[in-house]
Amino acid sequence: MTETAFQRQKDLPKSHLLSAGTPMCAGCGGLEAIHIAYDVLGENTIFVNAAGCMTLLSVYPFTPFRGSWLYTAMGAAPAGAQGVRDALDILMDKGRIEVADDLDVVVLTGDGSGYGMGISATSGTIDRCLDYLYIVYDNEGYGNTGQQYSAATPHAARTATSRCAYGHKGFKKDLFSILAANGAAYVATAIGSEPLDLAQKIEKAKSISGPRFIITLAPCPTGWDFDPKETMTIGKLAVRTGVWPLKEFTDGKVSHNKTFSKLLPVETYLEQQGRFRHLFEPQKKEAVLRDIQNSINRYWHEVATI
Amino acid sequence: MYRIRFHGRGGQGMKTASRILGRAFFLAGYEVQDAPRYGAERRGAPIFAYVRAAKSPINERGIIQHPDLVVVADDSLIGLPAAGVLSGLTDRTIFLFYSDTDEKSWQHRLNLKNTLFTIPVDTQAVDPLQRRYAGVSCVGGAARLTGVLDQATLKKAIEEEMADRSPHTVSTNIDHANATFSLLAQHDTIIEEGAAISAVGYEPPKWLELAPDPAAICAPAIYGGGTSSKVQTGLWRTMRPVIQYDKCRQCWWICSTFCPDSAISVTENRYTRIDYDHCKGCMVCVMQCPSHAILAIAEKDADKVTLQEVPS
Repeated sequence: MTETAFQRQKDLPKSHLLSAGTPMCAGCGGLEAIHIAYDVLGENTIFVNAAGCMTLLSVYPFTPFRGSWLYTAMGAAPAGAQGVRDALDILMDKGRIEVADDLDVVVLTGDGSGYGMGISATSGTIDRCLDYLYIVYDNEGYGNTGQQYSAATPHAARTATSRCAYGHKGFKKDLFSILAANGAAYVATAIGSEPLDLAQKIEKAKSISGPRFIITLAPCPTGWDFDPKETMTIGKLAVRTGVWPLKEFTDGKVSHNKTFSKLLPVETYLEQQGRFRHLFEPQKKEAVLRDIQNSINRYWHEVATI
Repeated sequence: MYRIRFHGRGGQGMKTASRILGRAFFLAGYEVQDAPRYGAERRGAPIFAYVRAAKSPINERGIIQHPDLVVVADDSLIGLPAAGVLSGLTDRTIFLFYSDTDEKSWQHRLNLKNTLFTIPVDTQAVDPLQRRYAGVSCVGGAARLTGVLDQATLKKAIEEEMADRSPHTVSTNIDHANATFSLLAQHDTIIEEGAAISAVGYEPPKWLELAPDPAAICAPAIYGGGTSSKVQTGLWRTMRPVIQYDKCRQCWWICSTFCPDSAISVTENRYTRIDYDHCKGCMVCVMQCPSHAILAIAEKDADKVTLQEVPS
């Protein structure tokens, strides 16, 4: 176990850097993860934000951040991060800023960009060994425009563009494995409902150099259709049912941070969300539910046998 | 031309309501525009939607400044300047409120001489955001007040706009629309179409001439940190979390960490305090508090509860 400032929950930051008053929906799972991440990252952070829900964080003249924030088009955030990183390096080389005043460059992106439109630029930054952190808030659809399906939408979920009886036809892209296979310095999955695990991973990512990635699942009351008060409950269920494995990739190895001797049935997670209601009403779609459960079982079986 | 403006909170179905009314006009042979206003269309936040309908082509665009009918699906918005319920009213503007407070009281409170109708609230849910039929009830009333839309057209419009919902949901929505349609029977055709606005008589706003500033001053760059705290997102709240300090076990990290909005701060003696200027009322803290020390109270009853002081 590496040394961490976050041994237990009571070590989590007591004061919050991210200001209130943002236009995110009540109960936003992504915002909750970002406020924890920002507390760990600290003020010396510059955010490069791909278009998405979180670009509404800073709408002139309001910003919740203490430092700089830059807005880019959907596919261009990693390229923006390259520019910012290069600019900081040049300024330091020329002695125009002190090395002590260097900033961490952090990309903030939703799943629409992170899994889809921005993936080519993201891959490019790994090729170039860009020193930056990349945080994905994954609410499994294009949430800001009304939850159209994205490359991160899970199989059978209903979205604004998947309204047939069985929901979304495709399957969630395995971004974690793609980034790991691409040779990232660090890849982790996390979720705001497990704040200690998230804080530890942000802390670890901050201590490494090179392209680093943290993919957080962001339960979305608006897009997933559940009561905002259930955001953390649903997040915890995503972990307990094995839908969202918490894992890390470092030094060429994948390790799981939370494993369970027995997973909860996936139905307990699905039935709480309106986007899966068509799997239970008017009659239960047993075959679809079984397929979803089987794919989760298969994943965890492989994890156990490696 | 009919100009109808909808006010509600995100989650109360204002966009759907405007679309149903728009479609009903369309089915009745009108040219129609219906659109919500793009912005922070978040759950609980003030939402605006607009319907224009005319027998001739509509050349107007954008938001409706001077409505013939103002529909309000949540009466807690009426007192909020940010919701702009009363903006641009004329002598002819008619109001339709989804509210249990009667017409006379509203006219007195708002000092209005305008015609005003109220639709009784479905009181099954304490939280206004759970009143799922507020929007469609307003549509039923609005349709009746125009007098040019009949029940069959309204039914067809709801069926078409809600085609992907379950038959039960569709029929319940139709029932609610019909109930208010019948309720306002004696006020049929009270709305008059507003006159077309002619481009010839258009007067531009009284612009203030400003000398151009250098880009460093006039570009939309923000130079201060944490300015979003100036935005009072507490206005979105319909339910209020209240900490009972006698039950609080000072674990502090749970509510403070799980609050997505950084609206719960930790005091020096490890109690927590909720910032009501910014709390959006998501109630995550109420659900997560292990000692059940946080109560959920409807915002309209919040005055009746005395807040406990943070223990020293």
